[in-house]
Amino acid sequence: MIFNTFSYFLLFLLPAAVGFRLLAPKWRAPLLVVSGASFYLFFSLTAVGGVAGALCLGLFLWEAWFSRLYRPGSRWCLAGIAQALLILFIFKYWNFATGLARGADNPWHWAGAFLPLGISFFTFEFIHYAQDRRQNRAEAGGFWEYFAFILFFPTLVAGPIKRYQDFLPALRRPSTDWATDWERGFTRILSGLVKKFAVADLMTAFTVHLNAADVARAERWVLPLWLVAYAVKIYFDFSGYSDIAIGSARLFGLKVKENFDWPYLRTNIAEFWRHWHMSLTRWLMDYVFIPLGGSRVALPRIYLNIIATMFVSGLWHGAGLNFVVWGLWHGCALGIHRWWAHRPGRAGAVPTVAGRAAGWALTFVTVTLGWAWFTMDISTALLFFRRLILG
Amino acid sequence: MKPLLEIKHWLEYLGGATDQRPRGFPRRGGWLLVALWWALLVCLIAAFCGQSSKFIYIDF
Repeated sequence: MIFNTFSYFLLFLLPAAVGFRLLAPKWRAPLLVVSGASFYLFFSLTAVGGVAGALCLGLFLWEAWFSRLYRPGSRWCLAGIAQALLILFIFKYWNFATGLARGADNPWHWAGAFLPLGISFFTFEFIHYAQDRRQNRAEAGGFWEYFAFILFFPTLVAGPIKRYQDFLPALRRPSTDWATDWERGFTRILSGLVKKFAVADLMTAFTVHLNAADVARAERWVLPLWLVAYAVKIYFDFSGYSDIAIGSARLFGLKVKENFDWPYLRTNIAEFWRHWHMSLTRWLMDYVFIPLGGSRVALPRIYLNIIATMFVSGLWHGAGLNFVVWGLWHGCALGIHRWWAHRPGRAGAVPTVAGRAAGWALTFVTVTLGWAWFTMDISTALLFFRRLILG
Repeated sequence: MKPLLEIKHWLEYLGGATDQRPRGFPRRGGWLLVALWWALLVCLIAAFCGQSSKFIYIDF
């Protein structure tokens, strides 16, 4: 819930945004910290994680303190990355990993496991800051400034994943154009809510059938329609969420980078990923693909890097084999696209209208079929494809 | 292609994603239009909000 509750708007967003604009500059970062901490406690206690989840607020305090040790070239940065990954592993992947190693009913199973609010997203911001400090690509900023960055509540739970280099200048010199910011911000928030309520939630009537029992007995022709409904739902759900986050930040006078740019209109899978969940794609490029060597290595390694990056993307989306397969599905699609785009005699070729139309259709079908792995467990997805292909 | 780009620009402006007014957007009475547009959006939210479910990416 969170963004579609009155509590979010009345208890947190409006008071914090007004206070941020009225307070003297030196109090702005502490205000963001206090409001972010209150937000985290409130929604952990009422929506996700309970008391144990609320105690995870300590992770932010620890990170804010530990980050003061980061220096260019310092091993503390590597330690910071390692601890962020360790925390993510324990909370998100412990049961998955021990289940794979020793079966679901193993003595290592953590029965009370829970996901701290926003852990997948704030972990990536922690890693970004540590790595960029190590490579001297980010200013240290002050304790309260970094604390405000990691606890900035409009983007805390599900992004967009921010960069400190973008946030810090905006925090120090936010826009003072109240009228434009609030008009555009509220328009964005309302549009996001309409996307969520009037489109994404409507699709649930169809997507609820994407389970083993319904897939097994459904008419074959209805299966692709359910999957298209899921494609519509996840886009309007997540882009609506991003709209609310970006619009909320705008009320403070802070501009957060876009997360979606008409991804379903793109004519190849690489373009799709450049316009779908853009903050994640940029993060994966900068902190996974390029460190692996990116495109500046031998051809087989390039394909391996693409697939490895999308494997990480899949695993990040969820601790389940279906998410791994979903990532590999896209990794293979990106690999095939790269081969196609770079094949001999292709350089400088301009696609025809028919070629672009075919590219759009192929991209949409690839992405939509991929959602089967995303939304269903492995056995249900396999049943889905068996029924889709063989009837 | 140009009409499609214009439609895209209109939709982005109406969605609050861009500050640049699209071509043909009335210069006068802007606040009235904004108020009417917000009223329409609020009506849509009110009409559909009863079925609300959680956002997909919250548990990630």
